[in-house]
This record gives sequence, structure tokens and C-alpha cells, in this order.
Amino acid sequence: MSWQARTLPSEISGLDIVVATRRDEHGELLVRELQRTRSRVRHEWPAPERMPEDADVLFCDLAPGLPGRLPWVPGEPKAALVVIIPVVPPPDLDLLRNCAADAVLHRPFTSHAVLVALVQARSRFGYEQRLRWRVDKLDETLRSIRAVERAKAILVSTRNMREEEAYHFLRRQAMDRRLSISAVAAAIVDSHEILS
Amino acid sequence: MTGTAGKTTEPWRVGVLFSRTGFMAVIEETQLRGTLLAIEEINAAGGVNGRELIPVLYDPASESAAFGLCAKRLMIEDGITTIFGCYTSSSRKAVLPVVERLNGLLWYPTLYEGFEFSPNIIYTGAAPNQNSLALCRYLMETYGRRFYFIGSDYVYPRESNRVMRELVRHAGGEVVGETYLSLRAKRRDFQPVMRDIRSQSPDMIFSTVVGDSTTYLYQSYLEAGFNPKTQPIASLTTTEAEIRAMGFDVGEGHITAAPYFECLAGESNSSFVSRYKKRYGQDEPTNMCVEAAYFQVHVFARTLERTNCMDTDALRPMILGSEFEAPQGRISINPHCGHTDLWPRIGRANSRGQFDIMWDSKAPVRADPYLIGYGRSTVFS
Repeated sequence: MSWQARTLPSEISGLDIVVATRRDEHGELLVRELQRTRSRVRHEWPAPERMPEDADVLFCDLAPGLPGRLPWVPGEPKAALVVIIPVVPPPDLDLLRNCAADAVLHRPFTSHAVLVALVQARSRFGYEQRLRWRVDKLDETLRSIRAVERAKAILVSTRNMREEEAYHFLRRQAMDRRLSISAVAAAIVDSHEILS
Repeated sequence: MTGTAGKTTEPWRVGVLFSRTGFMAVIEETQLRGTLLAIEEINAAGGVNGRELIPVLYDPASESAAFGLCAKRLMIEDGITTIFGCYTSSSRKAVLPVVERLNGLLWYPTLYEGFEFSPNIIYTGAAPNQNSLALCRYLMETYGRRFYFIGSDYVYPRESNRVMRELVRHAGGEVVGETYLSLRAKRRDFQPVMRDIRSQSPDMIFSTVVGDSTTYLYQSYLEAGFNPKTQPIASLTTTEAEIRAMGFDVGEGHITAAPYFECLAGESNSSFVSRYKKRYGQDEPTNMCVEAAYFQVHVFARTLERTNCMDTDALRPMILGSEFEAPQGRISINPHCGHTDLWPRIGRANSRGQFDIMWDSKAPVRADPYLIGYGRSTVFS
């Protein structure tokens, strides 16, 4: 036994994991190894039409129709995906690419290979999520800048405020109402568009 | 590391990255002290949930690239997820990819130029809307409209001056000269700059010089015979620590914008200052960087008490929105941007190496690292 549950990185313990692969001895081994990470493991076979949405990690056979069974559109994954490559036939590489997996795991499984795939998938998935979060925040920042500029222009033209007063007004409203400045700006832009 | 809580007495280990050697040591050493003081206080009070806080320290020796390597070592070899550290923006930018890829958490206790927003950094120093704006307004009201920019040649001064130039121009001011010198600049390197300042005759010098060369700038200024009453050096980075290094007489009359000065009134600060002096010596001043380094460890410890777990994914949501009675006043970690809502102030150095407060904000100012709510305006309250 080369590892113990207490030495596992927290990133891969105590997870919700769904496994969709044949219930043969290798399928059982996979489930057992995953359970040793103190994770809740559900073995679903035959593979459901639509994989559950509430899992942290999915282990799925690479098979035609897999992209359609995943409960998300490509590019917006809700869980880390490990694709299981069968011994035969040779893997369909286009299919593999279209699944956008975070890691692959080859049959027949070994205990080490299961952990390796799990760590790999969680680490890549987590990093992608953080980068996406950052990109979303940057997009939001750009939208906010635009909204604030428009709101300022509205205040300057309809309330005869100077530019500085308009910014000050927006910041003050945001503080008083405990809102973000972009929310205040968006409200001003919206109401102006409705009224005019 | 185990992700689970138990009745363990195993210590919590955290990384600490400040330079104790090299040209940034004067200020970074004080940040190290602030960090260690807070850790000692927490341990003296029984640790966090009965477990001691143990700092793992490395000295990146003022080399930006070494910060990245030390962060890598902390996270990979020492298995540490939370790091307190970095003064310069270049060192922060060296650590950023490491903590983002490995999902660590960097607590950054230094003012900086803004325009950054990492899911793996908590920023506890001032963003430009919390220091540059107040400084620009104060300078224009007090000294005139002609600015001369001098900075160290790296990312922070250039970016910070980009923001400052916008502010100055928008307020009807003018930048009459701009010079950058190496972070390793020596005293003689400042002489040509002083000649240029004499010929341009600005109303004030806005300095983003950091590190050891700060001393050479102010000393060269004094030797060149300029008068701080009419033509001061104004800075966002010259703290009590730099004033002490250059000499009280050299620093007297110059201006700094910061959320914290040692002289601040109030029980929270006076007890902080006396604990700091008791620990490090009666002659050792506190400064804005010490203070941020100090309060951020306390904010971390309070959060850890609730999560009982060092995972970044558990800590970060709890950190956002948390408040703390810091020596500068009540601060809070802004939930929208992971920066800190702080108290802007303007200080003028006096003959005792302390700052007299010339202006202070009546309320904490929200961090706005992208200056979304300001345009190029210098008027704010």
C-alpha cells in the first residue's frame, strides 16, 4: 500500500464522484480506489442519458454520445471530467477532443493510475475555473467602466453636474445603498433610457 | 497537508516572503516584523483553534525572480498554501502565476499601482484611489500645479505615474519632467536629476523611488539646497522607515500619502505601537507597511478560526467581506475585488521623523483598483 487517505491533498478527498463504466472487476476496482479518498462514489451503469449535475468529478467511458450526455456545453464544465479509454477499439481522437476531458484513464486500471487521473483532473479543472473567474471579472470591469461613463454623461447633461460631481454622486449613491458603483450606474442608464 | 479538521495539535504552517538583504531590505524587514509580531500575538493567545501558527521564512534578497522561486518552494516542497509577502510589484507579479496555478493565497501588504485582480491574492495596501487621488488634490491646493516625476525604473513607478499623470492633467496641472533611475541607483546618479529639477523649477517633486535609493534622493535634494516648504518631495512610499534611514533632518517637510502613520491617535494604534516597540526596540518606528503586514495576519487568523482548514477555496470566501479593527481604523476586505477598504491620509514629515497629519478622510474609502468610479477626477470625499 503506497499511500494512505490521510496523506491525500484536500483537493482530491471528500468529493462527490460519479463513475460510468462497466461493472466488471476493473469497474469495481475503480470505485474502490476512489472510495478510499473518502469520496462519495456513485456507480451508474449503463451510463445515464444525462450525467448528474451535482458531482465534483465524472469518470466516463469514451463512447459515442458522451458529449451529449455531459450536463453542460463545451467550455462551461460544471465538474472535472476523466475519460476512460477502453482496451479496444482504438480511441476515437475527435471524440476525445470534443469531450474536453481534464484527464484520461486507460483500462485496465491500476490503483496509482486512478489517483493520478483524479489529481490531474482536479488540478486542471480548478485552474481553468480560476482563470475563467478572472476573465469574467475583467469583462465585468470593462462593462462597469462603460456603464459608469454613460451614467456620468447622463448626469452631466440632465442634472447640469460637472464631471467630478457626477463621479462623486455615483460613489456616494453606491456607498449609501451598499451597491457596487456599476449597479448604480446601470440603474441610472436604464431609467434614463426608459424615460427618454 | 490534511484537509480535514480533527483534534490535532499539529501547527498551521504559513509562508513569509520578505527581503532581509539587498536594496529593499529597509522596508521589507519592517513588513517581516509586522508579520511576526501578529503571529506571536496569535500564538500567545493560544494559536488558532489550539494550534500554533508557524512561519516558514525565506529571504528572496530583493530579487524579483527569487520571489517566484521561493513561492514555488513554499508551495511545492513545504506544502504551504498561504503566503504573506512581497513589497515591489515585480515581486508580486513573480509570485502571482505560482499561487494562481497551484491555488495558493498571497496576502500582499503594500500599496501598489492598481489594475490587477487575482483570485489568489488579497491586497491590503492602498490602491491608487486610496492614495494618489488625495495626494494629487492636496499638492495642487497647497503647492501649485507643476509636477516633476522621479521614480525607480520598474513596473510600479511607471504604472503609478501613468495614473498620476492623468490626474494631474485633468485637474489642470502639468508634468514638467519625468525621470527613472535604476533600483540600484547610487547617490551620484541623482545629481544630474537635481540639475534638471533646478532648471525645470517644478512646484513639487512626485517620487516613486523605492528602496535604498530613497535615501539618496532626499539627501541629494537637501544638498542641492531646495526648500521643502515651497517645493517638497511627495511620495506614496516614503514611510517612517525610510525617513529614519535618511535622517530626520533630511526628511523634514516632505509629504507622504498613506492610510497609516505611526502618530495616529486612538487606542488601537497606541497599543499596537507600544507592542511593536516593546518587541523591536523603542527607536523602531512603525509604518504603513508594518501595519498592513500586521493586520492582514490577524484577518487571516480570524478566518482560519472559522474554516479550521487552510484550503484556499475554503478561506477566500470567508475572507471577503471580513472586517477588522486595525491600527489605522476599522478596515474591511472588499468582497467585490479582494482589496481593502482603507483610510486615506496625508502626512508631512516633522523633525522627529514622524508625520503630522495634514488631511485625513472622514470615512474609509472603498478600494477601486481599476478606478471605475473616478474617471480622471481628483475631487473626492
